[in-house]
Amino acid sequence: MANEALKLDNVKKNFAGTEIIRGLNLSVAKNERHAVIGPNGAGKSTAYNLITGRYQVSSGKVFLNGEDITNLEPYEVKRKGLSRSFQITNIFPKMSVFENVRCSLLWAMGYKYSFWKLVGNQTALNEDAEKIIEELNLKNRRDTLAGVLSYAEQRALEIGITIAGGSEVILLDEPTAGMSVSETEYIVGLIRKVTEGKTLLVVEHDMGVVFDLADRISVLVYGEIIATGTPTEVKENQAVQEAYLGAAMEEH
Amino acid sequence: MQKSVFTSALPWIFAAAILIVLPFIFTGGGSITIMNQIGITIVLAMSYNMLLGQGGMLSFGHAVYMGIGGFVAVHVMNIVENEYLWLPLPFLPLVGGLVGLGFATIVGSFSTRKAGTVFAMISLGIGELIAACCIIITVFFGGEEGISGDRTMAPPTFGIEFISQKEVYFLIAFWVLLSIFVMYLFTQTPVGKMANAVRDNPERAEFVGYSQRWVRYVSFCGAGFFAGVAGALFAINYEILTEQNLNTVMSFQVLLATYIGGVGFFLGPVFGAILFTILQTVIGLQTDLWALYTGIVFVLMVMFLPTGLTGLFAMHLIPLQLGRLGMLIKPYAKIFVPGLAFVVGAIALIELINHVRHHAEEQFMTLFWIEFDTTSFLPWALFLIMVAVGFYVSRAFAKEVAEAWGEATFVEGERR
Repeated sequence: MANEALKLDNVKKNFAGTEIIRGLNLSVAKNERHAVIGPNGAGKSTAYNLITGRYQVSSGKVFLNGEDITNLEPYEVKRKGLSRSFQITNIFPKMSVFENVRCSLLWAMGYKYSFWKLVGNQTALNEDAEKIIEELNLKNRRDTLAGVLSYAEQRALEIGITIAGGSEVILLDEPTAGMSVSETEYIVGLIRKVTEGKTLLVVEHDMGVVFDLADRISVLVYGEIIATGTPTEVKENQAVQEAYLGAAMEEH
Repeated sequence: MQKSVFTSALPWIFAAAILIVLPFIFTGGGSITIMNQIGITIVLAMSYNMLLGQGGMLSFGHAVYMGIGGFVAVHVMNIVENEYLWLPLPFLPLVGGLVGLGFATIVGSFSTRKAGTVFAMISLGIGELIAACCIIITVFFGGEEGISGDRTMAPPTFGIEFISQKEVYFLIAFWVLLSIFVMYLFTQTPVGKMANAVRDNPERAEFVGYSQRWVRYVSFCGAGFFAGVAGALFAINYEILTEQNLNTVMSFQVLLATYIGGVGFFLGPVFGAILFTILQTVIGLQTDLWALYTGIVFVLMVMFLPTGLTGLFAMHLIPLQLGRLGMLIKPYAKIFVPGLAFVVGAIALIELINHVRHHAEEQFMTLFWIEFDTTSFLPWALFLIMVAVGFYVSRAFAKEVAEAWGEATFVEGERR
């Protein structure tokens, strides 16, 4: 497919001889909202870490917009237009919300390692940072240290850091984990808003969120994708029901 | 939201005014010498904080960059004296800085790969390596005597030949202010901001597009530059550099001064450098045990005040903003008297023991301007009582201070 934003081709990963990811094939089309579901320990976060260069793949290839990004450093992957969030909040705790967002914009706006420009004078940079903070609904927390925000606010900032700089492909790792119903609504609304016109891959446990958000769903069990399809197709898939979804649906 | 040029320039003009007035206020013998030493320590500690406070790199060998910058500065001073090179003295710190920068670009290329323990160990190793070279490579380092020069032989700058300490003071003050200003600007650049981000969370910094290694490398080179500037200022002030200027002891002193001032604040090291130098020089003249007191201050700081002196000031901004600073005056005053009794008693006891152990032939000693008989029972008993009672009473009052503090900083519904 020519319009593939992200493609995993038979990706494998061993940890000390144990195969955690056993031949992962995944294809995400441009502007698609794609969800990955699966039981705990299925390898969802590991798959993210392999895509973004946090771990080295043992074999197989990862393509971003047709370009091979296998085993690149995390910052190189980001520079090529792929950005991710983390399951465990991963922000800059001793910096203000504003600085968190502004730092996330710097590379994307071409500042690189410059030490001859003052960030305070960069009008476009500061305006963009303010805009993102407004989108995140964190305007009244602009100058608060990120480390003292509430959990939901930190999760929102986590998404803000991820989308800042306008990466084309966004990977979110359990964005609503540990949230109350109203907080989940806020985050899902936020995700919908900020990923408009972008490619989204999301790992999520909350089936309500998944079926609400995703165009297509892939089911990952024990390091393999056992099914991919639209929400209805996946729901009706026999193998999925046996392996995972039935149990998960009963819980709800 | 942008501040006008004038308001942002105001603190710098104010600082410059203070620096100009200082030598006319403190005119006493030796005070200019101490202020010169403070100035050099400020530049060094501020450059160290580019690593530790801004960049999250714990270095045990920062004196190396100062030392090498200083040694080259002395050599250049000698070259200028022999008229192979024309260089007015005020430009010498630039030479020292470039040397520090050059050496940092080499060491940083492999030491900044990782932060944390790896970085700390490499810095310690490089520190020991260069200190050892000092004794071995006598052509450059001059062995144990070091290398000396004569600053007055440089071509005069507007007729100034830098013969008096006061003239040197103004040269140092100029470079102190310039260095702090440039280091401040650095914190406001993209890479300066990313230095904080890498310190806070190196992994996430990579996921926003920055190589943590490169960000650290840039900060490291900057810190090397200003350490070199401090080295050249040292060379100008003392006209001699020895192994002691770049060994591990010196590196730990930089760490101490910076930490005491407060690593979390941009200007923290300035206060640390002032306090540390005063401990070292003024108290060093009074007692052989200044290093012991510095060590005690350091340990107490790490345990009870990890944010340093500046952190102590900053803490009090909250009750100040709430208009409750007054609530703290009474409990502070109450704890001050027994606290002082404890500190004075403890110092007296330490000094007395030291005197008896090392100067037993002298029966009388002078302490806090009072002369007394060390063989009599009275001073021992008095100091012991001061320590015991002071400790006991201040502990009782400490509770009151804590309560008053809690009340003075309490804000309804806000988490801290």
